[in-house]
Amino acid sequence: MEPILQLTNISKRFPGVQALDGVHFDICPGEVHALVGENGAGKSTMIKIISGVHRPDSGEIRIDGQPVEFNNPREATERGIATIYQELSLYPELTVAENIFMGHAPSSQVGPFRKINWGEMFDRAQEILASLNIHDMDVRRKVGSLSVGNRQRVEIAKALSINARILIMDEPTASLTEADVERLFEIVRLLRERGVGIIYISHRLQEVFELGDRVTVLRDGQYIDTKPVSETTEDELISMMVGRTIDNLFPKLPSEVREPVLEVRDLRRRPSVRGVSMQVRAGEIVGLAGLVGSGRSELAQTIFGITPAQSGEIFVNGQKVEIKTPAQAVKLGIAYVPEDRGTQGLIKEMTIRENVSMAVLPELARGGFIDFAREKTLAQEAIQQLNIRATSVQQIVAKLSGGNQQKVVVSKWLASKPRLLIMDEPTRGIDVGAKAEIHRLMSELAVQGIAILMISSELPEILGMSDRILVMREGRLVAEFSRDEATQENIAAAMMSAQMENNHLVMERSAR
Amino acid sequence: MAAVEQQPLQTETFGQRLRAWLTRLVISQEGILLIITIIAMLVLSTQSDRFLTARNLTREAVLLFEVAMMALPMTYIIITGGIDLSVGSIFGMSAIILGFAWQDAGLPLELAIAIGILSGMIAGFVNGLFIVRVGVPPLIMTLATLALYRGMALGISQARSARGFPDWFYEVGRGDFLGLPWQIWILGAAILISAIVLARTSFGRGLYAIGNNELGARFAGIPVDRYKLIIYTFSGFMSGVAAWIFTSRVSTTRSDMGTGIELDVIAAVVLGGTDIFGGSGTIAGTVIGLILIQVLKSGLLLSGVKGDATTVMVGAVLILAILINNLVGRFRS
Repeated sequence: MEPILQLTNISKRFPGVQALDGVHFDICPGEVHALVGENGAGKSTMIKIISGVHRPDSGEIRIDGQPVEFNNPREATERGIATIYQELSLYPELTVAENIFMGHAPSSQVGPFRKINWGEMFDRAQEILASLNIHDMDVRRKVGSLSVGNRQRVEIAKALSINARILIMDEPTASLTEADVERLFEIVRLLRERGVGIIYISHRLQEVFELGDRVTVLRDGQYIDTKPVSETTEDELISMMVGRTIDNLFPKLPSEVREPVLEVRDLRRRPSVRGVSMQVRAGEIVGLAGLVGSGRSELAQTIFGITPAQSGEIFVNGQKVEIKTPAQAVKLGIAYVPEDRGTQGLIKEMTIRENVSMAVLPELARGGFIDFAREKTLAQEAIQQLNIRATSVQQIVAKLSGGNQQKVVVSKWLASKPRLLIMDEPTRGIDVGAKAEIHRLMSELAVQGIAILMISSELPEILGMSDRILVMREGRLVAEFSRDEATQENIAAAMMSAQMENNHLVMERSAR
Repeated sequence: MAAVEQQPLQTETFGQRLRAWLTRLVISQEGILLIITIIAMLVLSTQSDRFLTARNLTREAVLLFEVAMMALPMTYIIITGGIDLSVGSIFGMSAIILGFAWQDAGLPLELAIAIGILSGMIAGFVNGLFIVRVGVPPLIMTLATLALYRGMALGISQARSARGFPDWFYEVGRGDFLGLPWQIWILGAAILISAIVLARTSFGRGLYAIGNNELGARFAGIPVDRYKLIIYTFSGFMSGVAAWIFTSRVSTTRSDMGTGIELDVIAAVVLGGTDIFGGSGTIAGTVIGLILIQVLKSGLLLSGVKGDATTVMVGAVLILAILINNLVGRFRS
């Protein structure tokens, strides 16, 4: 069958990272084409290119065989491409019907104004919902009062109101109850019968087998393969998603593991941290793996006092402690290199000098007065030690490259001489050279006896750097592997597929 | 701030360094304002020979005192990205409480002064507490207390004013110390301390960090909530002190004292180059902003310009200063 949409050799580069590199993708009418890959594999970038948010650096997009270029999302919409994002984009204060017809409400000209034909709008909204087998929704209700599942149905109806021929669904089941998932699947099948092409993105592989006709795997922005779902298995998909060779990017040095620096017992902070117990020892790098939303960063921020624990115990060097604020955590020798450099890790408008000293100002100050000479020395040492490429300590951090910005964040926390260093995605979005430098530094710090807890979505990084690996899912630790036991496959399986155990969809699939 | 502390490269000669320093000064926000202020003073001094006299200038400084005292904490608050609209109401309420404690409650005047200032601090603390703990935006919170504190002043005073204070009470408002009015000494000390704290302490650094990126400041272990509580309390304290000294100067308390003064305070701070969105600003800038506004008001008045025309002129110069600064700002970056 002739594809409605065809992407050939698409590449897209963002500063410091090749998001997509020669990717192919196509979709036929009446097909569910699943798109899978790890976090950061390039799925989001690809759907943003299809929906006109980003423009590709190179490559070709064809619709019905005709080359097209989208300058903005509106142009993609006009070509019949609709996207349902993870965060739904509805107006909670408006009615169901208004949301469905946002921007193209049925209207008639009255003098200089356009008058909305409310009756027609409500009727047509009702029709569209009925065509999706949704008969229990009041189109006059405000969207804000609907359940998540119902809001998603409104999104789908909205896509149909513009006669979408291609529907992109990004993790549509991420926040749905099982009953809602079932209804969503019914709707997807209904749309498929009507000839809509559906691009379906999900971390839950069993959904791919439940719904998909074909599946495309991306990894690190590379196109891996496209297969009919009937000709592949879950194991094969996982190994295609993670199957990189681990190169010697990860210079992990042998390190003597000593006494525990941090211990937490049954730590809880609703809704993301649901009873975590673990230890991190001096000289040890513990890798914390898990999908986005599994509660890894939330756990780190609970330990660091940004979102203090609601219950549970924290011990630092064997002493029971209370951590209610980051300042207390810093005093206890805990440092946290956060996930988002730009908003959490740095004050980008300020200088390298001011950023490096930020966490140690109380120690740099005598009677409250900052010792500027020591502050400058500290920043100069940081520039030398971490090989930060900058014109001077007075350079504004925003003007540095991603890798050098990350080094500023790291040197800020090294200045605090931590016992426990928590690193959240320490090498996200930085180039290979800076990445290797940060990995070498982590390894050296562990040898010096610092305890390191590293959160990463890159399995090779987890495998390459960690002495021990913990896997988190839905706010709990679900697996632990030693460095020798761990493989990409068993970590990935612990991160993802164990959802099958308590999901009736598996049974349905075998019954089909 | 960063521009002033820029390290010159070692290879430059002294002359080059001096020139670079002067260039930076001239194109800095403070430098431009200073130049505008000096030009304004020169022009106005040609219009009236009474303007540029020691006598007139000290008189102007005394008139400037209350606004200036409140502009110092306001600079801190605006640097953090906040605002305090309630300063005028706190000012009025503190004065009323001072008078009430002395005249109606019969307390010793020394104690009444302390209670007046303390009530200002508490009012500021309450602002800070709601902003920090409840997360009310500063604009909304202080807009509410602008009405609330003024209402309390009206309620407590019952439209009566306190007067007939003992003679010693008027000393601070009308007397001199070493040949200059007390206000100049107090304001000078307050400016100096505020400037040093902002530029040289970890507290001051924290305020800039909060204004540029509050989340980042929090993640770096800066006690953001405590700092915010301190600055709003400081704002209340300074309004209280200003209320006491103003009462001493005008010898009476009225519940409508300081109505609308918050706009003068904010205008001076913003004119002085503090970014209304937070993150940058200096006490020096605020001081120049204060002087410029006062110079215009007084100079135009002495030149025989009518009162309402003066206000128009002040507004026009504000806009002009901001325009020039924007132009130079583009050149700067």
